[in-house]
Amino acid sequence: MIITSIFLYVDPGSGSYLVQAIIAAILGALFYFKNIWWRIKAFFFKPKKDETAGNDTVND
Amino acid sequence: MTNYITHPASFKDPSGFVFQAGGTIYRQVNQSYAATYDKLMSSGLYQQLVNKKQLIPHREITENLTQSPDWYKTLQPEAIPFISYPYEWSFEQLRDAALLTLSVLRTALSHGMILKDATPFNIQFMRGRPVFIDTLSFDVYDHSRPWVAYRQFCQCFLFPLYLEHYLKKDVQKILSAYIEGIPVDVTARLLPWKSNLSFGVWLHVYLQNTVQRGKKGGSNTNTVQFQKKKLLDLISHLESILQRFPEERTYKTTWNNYYEDSILSQDYLQQKEKIFRELCEGLTIQQALDLGANDGYFSKILAAGNTAVIATDVDGQCINRLYCEVKKKNIPNILPLILDISNPSPAIGFHNKERTAFFERTHADLVLALALVHHLVIGKNIPLPMLAAWFRDIAPRLIIEFVPKEDEKVQQMLSSREDVFDHYTQADFENAFSPYFDIQASKPIPGTHRVLYLMTRKNAL
Repeated sequence: MIITSIFLYVDPGSGSYLVQAIIAAILGALFYFKNIWWRIKAFFFKPKKDETAGNDTVND
Repeated sequence: MTNYITHPASFKDPSGFVFQAGGTIYRQVNQSYAATYDKLMSSGLYQQLVNKKQLIPHREITENLTQSPDWYKTLQPEAIPFISYPYEWSFEQLRDAALLTLSVLRTALSHGMILKDATPFNIQFMRGRPVFIDTLSFDVYDHSRPWVAYRQFCQCFLFPLYLEHYLKKDVQKILSAYIEGIPVDVTARLLPWKSNLSFGVWLHVYLQNTVQRGKKGGSNTNTVQFQKKKLLDLISHLESILQRFPEERTYKTTWNNYYEDSILSQDYLQQKEKIFRELCEGLTIQQALDLGANDGYFSKILAAGNTAVIATDVDGQCINRLYCEVKKKNIPNILPLILDISNPSPAIGFHNKERTAFFERTHADLVLALALVHHLVIGKNIPLPMLAAWFRDIAPRLIIEFVPKEDEKVQQMLSSREDVFDHYTQADFENAFSPYFDIQASKPIPGTHRVLYLMTRKNAL
């Protein structure tokens, strides 16, 4: 569905969409490598209960 | 046609508007938003958010109260006891409001919808917790588009939280100047260099600032394609930043350890509490306003008796600590807010009507001003007659403590300045208040020079 301009009363502003695309790409890459790291770790070490491969938080 | 008044803050969104008719607040849904509103209701999103107590419940009124040709539905939302604004919230309150916004966004996405704005003005505090109040903020989700309100979320929530976290200063007042949030370039300039070490700051502040500067006058960015997975990654990251801010704000302020550090003893507090309880006996109080509440010691006494209390203090740390306690102990009837009495929240926004002044929103039966008068008279040079006239405007009933010059605290205050307060005696105090108030009781606090008064406003005024 196409979002019509009448609903977009918050100005997306220059760069807002582009920034999100860049940030999402960076986060996507980080989450990808983090998942690989968790799998390697899980292969060599028995994972603890709270360590799951799907954990996708990035340290601030 | 019913007489109605459109809410002065409800003009930005063409989907509908808030209005008042017959003393009740309603929200009109316009025809242009009909399909989206129906999706909100039929998708189960509304019910799920209401069940989670994240969205304010409403009932639909079949009548077109405004007689507007754009009318589709009239909603009557549950009444909000007191409207507060983000520049009156502490760090934890703003953080909880931010987390609520992201949680509502996540739930909306799972129902094929999205939030089209992300302003803290869409949130109010009720029963000790934040609740989303803008029922028309939802839009149909386009899977190929980024989040239209991302920048607004950063400006209104993330940047003020980052600034307070890194500067270790209460920065809420900035939000009354930047009503649409703190711009990214201002945030980038205010943050200290050590914030560079934070991945979140680098990503959401410095990178955003750089890209935004580079895009001025640039191409149309609405062509950027996105995916839901990317949006969920972005939400997860924002949530993880918010959750990682330390809960305890450890920096020292003037008032955040008042009762621990105070030269006044616990005995004083107990004596004062005993007198306070005696003065409150027999009073029927629906809503109280505690000015200079500090950690809310007396607000909690009133709240235990089922009174709704707005507890205010100039110190954001005290309010933060009280909010955390209210949340932890599940006290539903205390609303802690930051307020500088000598410079309270003014009326701001378009036509100076969009957001009303603090004391236009309060209608308390009882006002508490305990250990406060000397700070206003000697600390802020507000003459006693002016102070009394102001209390007349805001307080039908007043429990007020007079702290004379003999008091150690006042002596401390006067030690660093010239004593120009010749008219600051107990007699002056009573003379200033008696034209406006009937002094019903005055009780000295044993072991001190302080006196606690119960006053009632004179009806003739």
